[in-house]
Amino acid sequence: MGEKTERGEKAEEGFEPLIVAFCCNWCSYAGADLAGTSRFEYPPNIRVIRVMCTGRIDPTFVLEALRMGADGVLVAGCHPGDCHYQKGNFIMEKRFGYIKKAVDSIGMEPERVRLEWVSASEGGKFAALVREMTQQIKQLGPSPFRLPQSSA
Amino acid sequence: MVRKTNAAIEAFKSQRLRWVAGRSQTKVEIDEKRYQQAVDSIMQEEIERHMITGAIKERGPLTVEEISQLINLRPSRIVQHLIALRKNGIVGEAGEKNRQYLYQLV
Repeated sequence: MGEKTERGEKAEEGFEPLIVAFCCNWCSYAGADLAGTSRFEYPPNIRVIRVMCTGRIDPTFVLEALRMGADGVLVAGCHPGDCHYQKGNFIMEKRFGYIKKAVDSIGMEPERVRLEWVSASEGGKFAALVREMTQQIKQLGPSPFRLPQSSA
Repeated sequence: MVRKTNAAIEAFKSQRLRWVAGRSQTKVEIDEKRYQQAVDSIMQEEIERHMITGAIKERGPLTVEEISQLINLRPSRIVQHLIALRKNGIVGEAGEKNRQYLYQLV
């Protein structure tokens, strides 16, 4: 068994986190695509879901992903001011504060959810972000929804 | 935790929270700090109310004490929520048990 996290769960050895990434079609998905075509290496723990804009992401999407066993959720969108739909990422930025508070109030670490800006030309940044987040979630340990006692 | 997560998902689907959290612009001046506090308290209230209705849906008619034991919330707070839920026509009384009112979904 590994080290203890703040909330008392144990980071298990050999644990491979499952991270759900919601990527906007115009920037972050293209960035993820570029990371692949540029052959940047990043862990295969991420499952990318393409959305047209981060403003399309409802808080329930993130919470549902966590409930269904995702160890972390990444929301990646265009840099502020670059949104294809003018202000979708600003809407998400505001909404994300509420998502973090809700995640905290249900008893999970708010660090399990992240909002990042990745443009279409930042393949390297996307790969580095996935590497960093995978490492961070490994430190936190598996999601409480994966543990048998969480069903009580 | 599953119950609380389900309640949080339902809370974000509720019209009340969507209305306040989804505000993007306003024509009146609002103190942002106070507004955020109001949204936070509405979010907390909605989560707690959905935990109450979720517990009733799961177990059938329940007393305040039973709900309190199930969702680990103070009875006084539950009574406050039940008053609001009753006013909105979501819950209603369903008889008595041990000299306490039973509440069921309407």
